[in-house]
Amino acid sequence: MKRHGMHHISRNHARMFYQPVVGFLALAAFALLGYAIWLCLHNISLMTTKGTQFVGFQNFVRLATDWRGLQALWRTVLFIVLATSFEVILGIAIALFLDQEFRGKKFVRAVILVPMIMTPVIAGLTWRFLFNAQSGMINYWLSTIGVAPVDWLGNPNVALYAVLVADIWQWTPFVVLLAMSTLETIPKDLVEAARMDGASEVRIIWHVILPMLRRTLAVAALIRAIDSVKAFDLFYIMTKGGPALSTETQNLYGYTVAFTNFDISYAMTIALFLTIVTNIALMLLNRFAMPKGVR
Amino acid sequence: MTRTGSASRSICIAMAAAFATVTTWADIAVGQDKPFAGARLSVLMVGHPTTDAVRKALPDFTAATGIDVDLEVVPEADSVPKMMLEFSAGSGRYDVVEASSIHVKGFVDADYIVPLDDLATRYGEFYDKADFVPGYLTPNTVDGKLYGLPLFGESSFLMYRKDLFEQYGIAVPKTFDEIEAAAKTVKEKSNGRIVGITMRGQQGIQGVYIWASYLWGMGGSFLTDDGKSALDTPEAATALDKFAHVLREYGPVGVANMGWEENRLLFQQGKAAMTLDATVNGAFNEDPSVSTVVGKVGYAPVPVQTDSPKGGSSSLAVFGLNIASASQQQEAAWLFISWATSKKQQINSLDTDPNSGVTSVAAMNSPAFDKRYGAFKKAMLASLAGGNPQYIPTVPRANEIVNNTGIAVSKVLAGTASAADALKEANELNNAALTR
Repeated sequence: MKRHGMHHISRNHARMFYQPVVGFLALAAFALLGYAIWLCLHNISLMTTKGTQFVGFQNFVRLATDWRGLQALWRTVLFIVLATSFEVILGIAIALFLDQEFRGKKFVRAVILVPMIMTPVIAGLTWRFLFNAQSGMINYWLSTIGVAPVDWLGNPNVALYAVLVADIWQWTPFVVLLAMSTLETIPKDLVEAARMDGASEVRIIWHVILPMLRRTLAVAALIRAIDSVKAFDLFYIMTKGGPALSTETQNLYGYTVAFTNFDISYAMTIALFLTIVTNIALMLLNRFAMPKGVR
Repeated sequence: MTRTGSASRSICIAMAAAFATVTTWADIAVGQDKPFAGARLSVLMVGHPTTDAVRKALPDFTAATGIDVDLEVVPEADSVPKMMLEFSAGSGRYDVVEASSIHVKGFVDADYIVPLDDLATRYGEFYDKADFVPGYLTPNTVDGKLYGLPLFGESSFLMYRKDLFEQYGIAVPKTFDEIEAAAKTVKEKSNGRIVGITMRGQQGIQGVYIWASYLWGMGGSFLTDDGKSALDTPEAATALDKFAHVLREYGPVGVANMGWEENRLLFQQGKAAMTLDATVNGAFNEDPSVSTVVGKVGYAPVPVQTDSPKGGSSSLAVFGLNIASASQQQEAAWLFISWATSKKQQINSLDTDPNSGVTSVAAMNSPAFDKRYGAFKKAMLASLAGGNPQYIPTVPRANEIVNNTGIAVSKVLAGTASAADALKEANELNNAALTR
């Protein structure tokens, strides 16, 4: 009886600590969401003197028929899929490689994390200079083996992939970091036992190591996917959405509508739409692609 | 508890008394000739040599008026969103903003900035209207009222390498066809070692700013007389075709992502025979510390292809200082803007910064100006005289129109659409924006 009472009281005490915080966060989230929806249903533009009017779903109808917005959405999806899969696959490969014992391992591990801690602005500028068609290093190296200069950021068929390369360079180390920390927790005797039984290295990786990495990789993929939806800095610095709109993601389009055209309501509609699509996609990913333990 | 309370209260009283004494002294010292001493202005300006010169001279202003200035300097692209957000919220966060004159009409319609004529008659100690280049005042005037004081201005012109033109026997181009012919000759005779012509091709205002020369020079325009989009015309399509063709055939690699800096550097490094750009580039070409082509560059007006253009093919861009309607200290703000644009400060700026964009006639006629910028002064004044203030549309939706047009320019330059199709698309988007 007494113990039950104690338990009851201590639980109440704990509640007193977290409830106000949760309440405040919920209030802030709902207030902001409410304001965002209110904006979407009006026609607020900083460049007009007509005044604010309620326009219902007009902004959503406009988005549904806006080829520029739809193309940007498609480009965003393409970027998310490519960036996430390259980063995860490359990340595991590098982590497996670094899991061997070799001289200077600590140094290599430190160096590989450099891109991740670099400010996006510096990373973007560095890649912009590397990709420069006239005086960039990449074209210089290519010229030494006799390849004609490639217009990396000026060719609409190439520019998106150039930004992708920069993103992969910057964020693969994140996957490496997560995978390496998990690899260290894998009991070595399991691998040894498999080796004793005569399993090849490929089979060991496939049947022993990867299944144990599954949870980590799922989390890494989820975090990278969410981050690539939000990708903005590299695009803004390297191409500003050009040439010929070939690198304009939904995010960048929303930014242009808000801060070049000052069409606040429409920009908010684009942002809200992207949020909804992303949430649905991530929920599906969570539901079908994730192992149970991760959920 | 009580003791601490009373102790802190007496400290407060003492501090207040001391403060009051200081203020009284200050008032006595200031007297009547500094009516706004003690005011603190918040000013938003655009990163530019002129702004640097103003910042360096701020202590002079404070000494003369007793007004303190908090100066915030941001890149041009960021300045407009910043001021728009504060303006639309009516916050009064900025007393003074620096903006391109293309925004003036929109700001006036939205009641964001105030007319200056009344302030000018009341506090004229720094102000001399007759000293401003007249062409710079016009775009800052709406319905006969002055809304901004020109801080710096520029036009555009054709820059070409005199040495190469002489070597290859090329005459200075007067039409866009002659530009193309000259670019072709350079490319062929130098075996592709030197780029025929370089221009900005980056999507957005960068590409549109330069392409506009072709548009106006071909007899086209952005808008019709009754305010509709005019980009679906044969003139506009020819202009875009010629612009894209000369760059794709005889321009530099990577032109589709080149902005002002990239273009300027390429020409300064002697890698191109021609460029069409802002007059401020002249100051860089003639600066031995950054340029390898000092003294080798000729300057000429922007070519024109038609006999009856709707407007000049060289630009006229003016950045002015405006006073926010929400400002609580408009008189002090006026003193600041009239000081920053005064004859004295502009002449002074020539010694402190590479400021070829002065708006004062006296500064342009000063020996310092001739010494530094004599090489292109004549061509610059000619371009200014024929400069087109409607070069980039000045309607409230200007940004959106430039944005849509930029996509068309970029598409044709990248070869993903024909000029007629791309411009038709931009035309529809522009008309939608104009009626929204």
